[in-house]
Amino acid sequence: MIMMFGGLGAALENRTPDWITGMQEHMMKLDQELRDSGELVASSKLVDPSQAKTVRFQNGAPVPTDGPFAEIKESLAGYWIIDATEERALEVAARVVEYTEFPMEVRQVMHL
Amino acid sequence: MSTDGRWEDLLRVLAPQVLATLVHRYARFDVCEDAVQEALADASRQWPVEGVPDNPRAWLVTAASRSLVDAWRSDSARRRREVMVAALDTSAEVSGHDDTLVLLFLCCHPDLTPPSQLALTLRAVGGLTTAEIAAAFLVPETTMAQRISRAKQRIRGARFALPSAQERPERLNVVLHVLYLMFTEGHTASSGPDLGRADLTAEAIRLTRLLHRLLPGECEVAGLLALMLLTDARRAARTDEAGAIVPLAEQRRNRWDATMIAEGVALVERTLGTGPIGPYQLQAAIAAVHDEAATAQETDWPQILALYDVLAQIAPGPVVTLSRAVAVAEVHGPRAGLAVLGTLDGDDRMAHNHRLEAVRAHLLERAGDVIAAGQAYSRAARMTASLPEQRYLTLRAARILNG
Repeated sequence: MIMMFGGLGAALENRTPDWITGMQEHMMKLDQELRDSGELVASSKLVDPSQAKTVRFQNGAPVPTDGPFAEIKESLAGYWIIDATEERALEVAARVVEYTEFPMEVRQVMHL
Repeated sequence: MSTDGRWEDLLRVLAPQVLATLVHRYARFDVCEDAVQEALADASRQWPVEGVPDNPRAWLVTAASRSLVDAWRSDSARRRREVMVAALDTSAEVSGHDDTLVLLFLCCHPDLTPPSQLALTLRAVGGLTTAEIAAAFLVPETTMAQRISRAKQRIRGARFALPSAQERPERLNVVLHVLYLMFTEGHTASSGPDLGRADLTAEAIRLTRLLHRLLPGECEVAGLLALMLLTDARRAARTDEAGAIVPLAEQRRNRWDATMIAEGVALVERTLGTGPIGPYQLQAAIAAVHDEAATAQETDWPQILALYDVLAQIAPGPVVTLSRAVAVAEVHGPRAGLAVLGTLDGDDRMAHNHRLEAVRAHLLERAGDVIAAGQAYSRAARMTASLPEQRYLTLRAARILNG
């Protein structure tokens, strides 16, 4: 599982339209490559973390609240699950990081 | 959901008729529906190889009945005998048309949630397989199978008959809403990488066309069909070569489908004034005004605003207010439009809707307030759940703020 963190605000602030277009094309090309090769198992991009709600245990009951608003950089933004070696997964992650300069996390999905 | 091969189209047309025939005989909608799906699967394996049988409908009824018998073989001997006797009675012919209508009402039963209504309608009336429906909604096949199975369980006791005269208007509204949802789901995928999922759109138009044939006198059915045609006519122009969104004003109008527009406009003209006016007819009339303008500049905005004024009276709601604000801006200037938008600010129903921010951004940009426009585009980009829309809005924001 290759995970990307952060929200639009964090990633795209002060970026030029050309940079954004380039990033979008880069991501779409990579996504298509993973589909075409049959490595892609699942993938999703999540709605911006500013739209998230959190359910917390407060005063003995679960309470939903808006947010997180702080630490958006640590919020999951999207993921690919690919059927591949760790080496290949790291290579895919590296190709994104090379462009965005934002960190990606790679973890193995556990066997049942 | 491929459409190549006429036998596939034939299967889809016959599916609801065969299902209705079975339900008449065996009463159990849920098991009959499974049996028809198996018969359809058999047909799609055999027909391409052996050719379409002389009486395809009878072939399907027989195959489905056989499958039903197989399913019940483990059941009590008594029931098995009943089924066998009933299955021999192949002379029973029923009017396919009324039955398709009954099926449509049943699948859009008010006890079901909209996602279940949609799924069941696509399967039982549309003749799609669970796998095809799952693919259309981007969910795993097991999820969709479970959803359909639950939906069938829920309406197991429902009568297989048309709703009563009193219930009918309300039930028809639900059917229209389900078809409308199916269309919009296909037209603007609510999530996922592709802006339009043409298959759902085509299916919604096919089923609404069918409904219009069954109920030609219902103005809102005609209105909904016209609205779909007039909206879908612009599909090819809605995205550029790279798949990015092109807003209405910037679309290359020679890429619009003239045949669909002509059909939609004719429907609107034939329908308006012949019965009670409704929201679908009005929205179709608005779409027709857009489609008939040779260029964006030639759009008859006063006419569109007048139609929105009526729509806001008979079917008020935040989405109508939002669209009306755009028309107000075109007729009376962006500041007037922004004032209308302001009435939505405290509205909880719009609190998580990115369209409010997107329209605000557009009007602010036209009013020359670039900083506020850029910020509104950014807010809209953060709120949308559609990837193409997010790309479009992010780019608009960057062009204004950092371009």
